[in-house]
This record gives sequence, C-alpha cells and structure tokens, in this order.
Amino acid sequence: MQIQDTQGRLSQLAVNDEGFAFDPQTGESFTLNDMGRRLVQALAAGDALDEIVDVLAERFSMETREVRADVWDFIEQLRINNLMGAES
Amino acid sequence: MSQLVIGVTGINASDNPAPGIGVAKSLKLDTDLDARIVGLAYDAMEPGIYMDWFIDKAFMVPYPTAGHEALVARLLYIKATYGLDVVVPTLDSELPFYIQARDELEQIGILTYLPDKKQLSLRDKQSLPRLAALAGVEVPGQAIVTNHAELTHAVQQLGLPVMVKGPLYSAHKAYTQQEAMAHFSTVVAKWGYPVIIQKLIQGDELNVIGVGDGEGNDLGLVAIKKMNVTGLGKIWTGVTVNHGELLEATRRFVKATRWRGAFEMECILSNNQVNLIEINPRFPAWVYFATGVGVNLPAALVRQAIGSAVSPSETYPAGQLYVRYTDERVCDMALFQNMVTQGESL
Repeated sequence: MQIQDTQGRLSQLAVNDEGFAFDPQTGESFTLNDMGRRLVQALAAGDALDEIVDVLAERFSMETREVRADVWDFIEQLRINNLMGAES
Repeated sequence: MSQLVIGVTGINASDNPAPGIGVAKSLKLDTDLDARIVGLAYDAMEPGIYMDWFIDKAFMVPYPTAGHEALVARLLYIKATYGLDVVVPTLDSELPFYIQARDELEQIGILTYLPDKKQLSLRDKQSLPRLAALAGVEVPGQAIVTNHAELTHAVQQLGLPVMVKGPLYSAHKAYTQQEAMAHFSTVVAKWGYPVIIQKLIQGDELNVIGVGDGEGNDLGLVAIKKMNVTGLGKIWTGVTVNHGELLEATRRFVKATRWRGAFEMECILSNNQVNLIEINPRFPAWVYFATGVGVNLPAALVRQAIGSAVSPSETYPAGQLYVRYTDERVCDMALFQNMVTQGESL
C-alpha cells in the first residue's frame, strides 16, 4: 500500500539531519524525532508502507505491529496538516 | 547613469514602522542606480531623518491635508535647492495627492510610478469582493457600516469574531459585540468613516509583495508568512514561502487590473484555501525582506519610473528568515533643531 502525497507537498518538505522540517508552501516548520524523520523521508520517496514499517521495526528494534500503529498515527497527523492525502 | 535624487516618504521607523526606510535601504543597495535619497518627513522626530547612512538629506513636507499647492510648492523647492528626480510615496494617505499631481510633477521633472485613480479605487476595502473575484480567491464576508445600528446588524449577520477596520488604517479583533462597539468608536475617532466589519478567518497570514508594470505583468513577487507580529500586528519575524496558488492569484490580480506600481496582497490561508484580506497600493514596511532575498522591488520601481530597462525577478528562495530588531542612534541636537527651524536636515 502507498500513501498519496497531496500535491507533492511531502516531497517538498525540507528536512535536515536533526529533524527540523520546513514546508516551503505554507512557511510552517516543525521538529521530528528520528523515527518521524525517517518516515517522512521514506513516504516522500514513495516507498511502500509495508516496506517502511519493516525497515523502521528493524532500525528501532520494535515489534512490526507497534511500528505500524505509530506510523498510522503519524500519517493521520500529516493528513490533518494537509501534507498527505488518502491512501491509494 | 548619472546620480539620481529619489524622494522617499514614510521614514518613520518606529514601533509602527512605515515603509520608507526599507525602500531607502533597498535603493542604496542598487549601486548602479547611484541614488541620493531625500527623506520626506512630516515630523521632525521621524527616526529616518537621523539615519544618514540611508537618508542623505531630509526635508519637512506639509501633510496632504494642507492641500495640493502647498505640497507641490514644497517639492518644487526641494528640486530647486537639492534636486529631486523621482518620488516614492509609501503611505496610503498620500497616494491620492501624488496620483492627482502625477502630470504636474512630471512636467517639472519629478517622476512617480503609481496606480491610476481607477486602480486605486479598485482596492478600496469596500471593493474587496470584486478584487477577490478577479484574483480567483475567497474573501471573508464583510459589511460597510457608519453607525451603531448597522454595526450591530453586521456583527449578527457575519457572526463573531470579526475584524473592525478603518477606511485606510487600523484593524482590531473583536470577540464580543461590546468589543466591536468599542473598536468602532476608536476607529471612527482616529480615521473617520466608513468602518469595515470583516468576518475573522483563522489561519496563517501569508502576504505577497510585488510591483506591476501597468501592462498586466509583474516585475517580481515575493510571498512570505508572518511568524511573529507585534501588538500592533506588525511583522517582527517572517519566512519566505513558495505557495503556488497564492502567487498565481497575485499574478491574476496584476493582470486583471493592469496594476501599475507597488502593492502588497494580504491573505489568510485557511484549510488550504487562500482568503484575500486586503490589498495595499504601496510597499509594505517589510519591503526590505524581498530585497534581502534578491528581489529589489524599490529599485525595479524607480527604474520603471525613469524608463530604464528592468529585468523581472523570476524566483527567490523559500525558507529565508526575516528578523527585525531595535537600534539606537545618538547625535547632536543641532540636527533636530535644524529640522524644526529650517525644515530640513543639515
């Protein structure tokens, strides 16, 4: 499953190595933790959701089920902020 | 190009800054213009008078209310004694005078680059819905009121909260009918009638600065988000943004009105929708922000005024930060004395 990047906004986000993200369209900025940063970068790159979950679970030594729940919560936040669209 | 003498108004760099210092700073940065800047002040305490690294010479000028002849005579005196090739008025209240006097000033060799009367009336706060339609954006509901009964009715129709705005300046948020009443009285006492009651739209304030060439094209646009504002609603920190829809809407406005001169488009981005709040027919006080990211609009405007070639600025980087700060200046009292007694700086 892939998540649609609304008007390419996620891929336009400027995210630095420390997790500071800037939306050049609205001027909003926010900070991401390490997992959030990796997740945003993977989503912006168009990676499949299952693949992202597996990579994050391995990277952070967590259960796949737990990571999947966190990822969905995070995606919901991105949708609320108009950075992501519906799943496709 | 020989040295140009450019008059700039609005050199009041106070807690409610006027655009003049930003304009002067931008003009000085364009070294090819080789400009001498004349500050046109209404009060001997306007800080720009004392900022001689931007303002080469300052003159007192009469308020527009003193009448057409008084101001033309003063500009003529300045031209004769110091030189004056171009004037960049930056205050709303001056624009009707400079627009009306455009041909007369041109005949005596003082150039301006301003919208015409019709264009100016188009951006009256009362005409906002029409302008929003031209730009293809939304507009908050609004009503024009001149008394308490109309105000009460307007607030009931629009729903709280609302903005209470003067015809030229001043805007206050009101969350109750009583607050709206109080702001109405304040605005009327200071700025007169009519008063504009506008539905308050919650969202991010995004503004665009630009200059139109009078043919439907722009000479450069820069969009910003206000990150932090003062108690008077003036920007203190901001960031450049690249909001495609907002910039396109601005281009539609410039094209539809064939805008001539500087402008600022004030918008609120709410639920990804652009809402037009106001269009100012002049540079905003943060004009130097655009210059700082490579889009020197005051220089473009002056070049357009003198008929020099202007290359439109196509792009600017998003994510550039703007931070205001306060500063102090200590100088001899003689400067102030000369402004008061002679009407000009030393």
